[in-house]
Amino acid sequence: MGLIQKSRVKSPWILHFDNSSCNGCDIEVLACLTPLYDVERFGMVNMGNPKHADILLITGPVNRRTARVLKNLYEQVPDPKVVVCVGTCGATGGVFHNCYNVLGGVDKVIPVDVYVPGCSVRPEAIIDGVVMALQKLASMR
Amino acid sequence: MADSMMAIAILLPVVAGFLILAVRNYFARGAVVILTALILIANSIYFTLKGPFTYTPGGFNWGLLITILDYGILIFYLYIGISLRNWLVLIFALTQIIPLAYFEFVMKAHIEVTPAFVIDNLSIVMTLVISIIGSLICIYAIRYMYDHEHHLHLEKSKQSRFLFWLVLFLGAMNGLVFANNLVWLYFFWEVTTLCCYQLISHDRTELAIKNAARALWMNATGGTAFILAIIYLYATQGGANALSMQTIIGGGLQGTLVLLPVALMCYTGCTKAAQMPFQSWLLGAMVAPTPVSALLHSSTMVKAGVYLVVRLAPAFAGTYLSIAIAMVGAFTFFGTSALAISQTTGKRVLAYSTIANLGLIIACAGINTPLSIAAAIMLIIFHAISKGLLFLCAGTIEHQIWSREIEDMEGLAVKAPLTTLITAVGILSMFLPPFGMLLGKWIALEAAYIVPLAAVFFVLASTLTIVFWTKWLGRLLQVLPKLGWPIERLSPSYAVPLWTLLIGIFVIGIGIGPIYQNFLLAATNNVISGNQIISLGLNNLVLTTPSFLQREILGVFPVWPLYLILIVALLLPFLMIGLKPTELRPVYMCGEQAGGGAPDTDEWFAEADTVTKCQLGGYYYQNIFGEKRVCPWANAIAILLLVIMIGGVIVL
Amino acid sequence: MMINQLLLVFIVLVGAPIVGGLLFGIDRKITARMQGRYGPPIVQPFYDFFKLLGKQHIAVSKMQFVWIYGYLVFMIASLIFLVLKSDFLLLVFLLGFAAVSLVLGGFSTKSPYAHFGANRELMQIMAYEPILLLLAIGIYAQNGSFLISEIFKHDKPLLFTLWPLFLAVLYVLTIKMRKSPFDIATSHHGHQEVVKGVTTEYSGPYFALFHLAEWYEIILLLGIIALFWTNPLWVGILIALAAFIIELFIDNIAARLTVSWMVRLSWSVGLILGIANIAYIYFTKGVS
Repeated sequence: MGLIQKSRVKSPWILHFDNSSCNGCDIEVLACLTPLYDVERFGMVNMGNPKHADILLITGPVNRRTARVLKNLYEQVPDPKVVVCVGTCGATGGVFHNCYNVLGGVDKVIPVDVYVPGCSVRPEAIIDGVVMALQKLASMR
Repeated sequence: MADSMMAIAILLPVVAGFLILAVRNYFARGAVVILTALILIANSIYFTLKGPFTYTPGGFNWGLLITILDYGILIFYLYIGISLRNWLVLIFALTQIIPLAYFEFVMKAHIEVTPAFVIDNLSIVMTLVISIIGSLICIYAIRYMYDHEHHLHLEKSKQSRFLFWLVLFLGAMNGLVFANNLVWLYFFWEVTTLCCYQLISHDRTELAIKNAARALWMNATGGTAFILAIIYLYATQGGANALSMQTIIGGGLQGTLVLLPVALMCYTGCTKAAQMPFQSWLLGAMVAPTPVSALLHSSTMVKAGVYLVVRLAPAFAGTYLSIAIAMVGAFTFFGTSALAISQTTGKRVLAYSTIANLGLIIACAGINTPLSIAAAIMLIIFHAISKGLLFLCAGTIEHQIWSREIEDMEGLAVKAPLTTLITAVGILSMFLPPFGMLLGKWIALEAAYIVPLAAVFFVLASTLTIVFWTKWLGRLLQVLPKLGWPIERLSPSYAVPLWTLLIGIFVIGIGIGPIYQNFLLAATNNVISGNQIISLGLNNLVLTTPSFLQREILGVFPVWPLYLILIVALLLPFLMIGLKPTELRPVYMCGEQAGGGAPDTDEWFAEADTVTKCQLGGYYYQNIFGEKRVCPWANAIAILLLVIMIGGVIVL
Repeated sequence: MMINQLLLVFIVLVGAPIVGGLLFGIDRKITARMQGRYGPPIVQPFYDFFKLLGKQHIAVSKMQFVWIYGYLVFMIASLIFLVLKSDFLLLVFLLGFAAVSLVLGGFSTKSPYAHFGANRELMQIMAYEPILLLLAIGIYAQNGSFLISEIFKHDKPLLFTLWPLFLAVLYVLTIKMRKSPFDIATSHHGHQEVVKGVTTEYSGPYFALFHLAEWYEIILLLGIIALFWTNPLWVGILIALAAFIIELFIDNIAARLTVSWMVRLSWSVGLILGIANIAYIYFTKGVS
């Protein structure tokens, strides 16, 4: 692997965005940052800023309002980027999929690379999903 | 030869002024101004080439003419005081005219002083500044006043009257810096005050007349002090030979309390330079059209005040008065820098910054070592160029957006990229290395430890200047993501002075080593002998201690390497890095931007999905640095310092 | 003489970012250990740097590039001035130009977060600049010259006579290293401050330049602290590293203060320390 590709795997910066989730998955994402799971040892840092991020960690189903926001944020993230969808809500709409303002899963709006199922997702599964996304990131140009 | 040079320097502007009054056509008037400007510039260069000399005009009773004109001006002030019912103007006109009459008729003073004019290197430096920068500003004023009157929809044009006073002023300034006879110096001083009054009140609005009257009475207190100093000198030193500036600075005064007239004249300089607590007249003068602010209130007239203090420096060297003057200047530098942070109008920021830098120059004169005097002279030159440029930029911006407020200048880089570029370079040249203003401030800081409290004030004021300049520049540069800003067209009357001054900043800054060695050193030695700046190698300025036996190096300023670093840091990226349209992204507004994905939108969806414009404002910290908070205690301390300055001379 | 100096400059230009990056890596490791975690590897900052270099080139405005290059180049220039033992006062002014460039980079786009961050960075400059300038005057008061080479010629370390200024410089170090309680304008990894403050609109290669400038900056700051004990120099370097570790402790035990507290503390405690120090030297030594 080239130096830059190795660095991409070793230094994934995360943008965590909550569409309209119940916050259960968000709490689990934040739990990953705590000393018990400590994702920072993999170089993962939660950046609040799309322009600094490589991985978009998205929770919750997409509704009409957040579709616009999600598209805006996705465009602000520079390439190469991967999208990780956390929770069943992000994959298919989950328990909310029949609501009047819910459009469905995240892949209705932006292309998704990794789906992490669960409701709410366990931190180990989130880390597993991000690592899978990193492998995809490493193979990008 | 000397006759014609002096006549051109002092009398040509008067003649040209009357010619301008007579000419009504815009282009002919402009041609007269440009021709006068070119002749004055050539004349000043001729002064430089000729070198120092002395001169006494013959063939006409000039002294009588000056006396008559003196009374004329003072009677005019009385008239203004009465017609405006302004008691302060009236009182301070009386306090000048009564002692003057006493001096003339009761003391039967004989005021023949030879030589009447002494043109030494310091005067030549001043006349270069006046002639070159002053002429450029007069050229700028041609088009500026035309646009100004157009915007105000005036029926009757007053441009001739404006240009008359502007050009006449140049002659008065030249006379001021050459004069050796104190009474003649007083006359030229009063003419500059008169021009100041006429030009500030030019628009004839209530505010303009009120502020012009304030400028008048504050400067009149200085004039009073000057007259009292003249009378004291004549009475105690026994005769007219004491009324020669060369005698005073050459140590030719005897007796007790010789410092009192010197202190009074320094007070006069402080009022002209709008030091605290007199800063309000300069701030009020900002209502005038921009060429007035550029010429009188930054480059030239206020420089007459500091010129007087620097000229008198040998007279108070090594005395208590020197330290007192250094404290007055240093405290003004600090106080007005603090006040500048809270100002929302561009010209008021420039005004406070001007007063601050004048305070720095006066403090350098007070510190009174070869190093600090060299710093003072360098600061006079660099400040005149940079601040003149900034005022002209402020005027150009005003005529593009028709506002003087900094908040209205937000995003000017898109509307007027060329003006913004010139203004940005002007602002950076005021406080950053390697430009000349910072060089002067660096030398001043390296020289300042002799009066350590002044050094502390320099440090605090330096910090505050960074804040307000960066804030303003930031507002100018704040743009939306957009490519391809069209470059605006500037009229030649605006463009020529702006570009000349901008190039001047770089030329004089880069060449400061040879310029100092061959020219400014001689001017410094007119005030204090000794040289502490050596220029080595690639224009490296090395500051040394003044001892002859063992020169120790105080500090080093490598001029050319620093300009090279500046080019690599800012100019190369500016020219070489491009941005493609596909690479443009919107700013981060939490994803809530409206505009359907276009990057150059500043509207966003607020509550209930209403589309709102994003509004950003500058920070002015009015509750900390505002005039209401700072002025009471700062003015009190400044008054105390002035009282200590003059009173201490009497007591100690 | 010139070849020696050029060689030294080259070594510093290449070596300082490596050492600086490792210092930041050690910083993150020790912080993590203090928080009961494992933390990233020590070479993590270099992974971050190369990853950023490989990102797509996007921007919000063309002027961003100019100002970030200004920040980097003037920071390197200040470091070169330190290494060539030139004028300390001029070094402080060059550092000021670097800081102003960063602020202008934040102001150069109409972004709310960059705007706040730039203003807070400007307030940070207002907080630490007087102390650095007073340090320059203090060095002059003690040595009779502003040149750094003069500091090396004296046997007695500056720390003995300038210890109040040393305390004030530790305060400056906290601000410049962006450690709590003063990580106000932007913050390093794991912290957030008004999104990312000054650096919000930077991304990819230009954000990498920001990190590079930070690595030069930490070497510069530790070098300034090392000046307090130059005979022998390794003691000064140890003091600098000790100060660095102390900053990590302070970072982990303090909460963030507001801007007004930062400026208030600096202009009261910092100035009193500096002015008292200089006054003491003035009255005991006089003017040399």
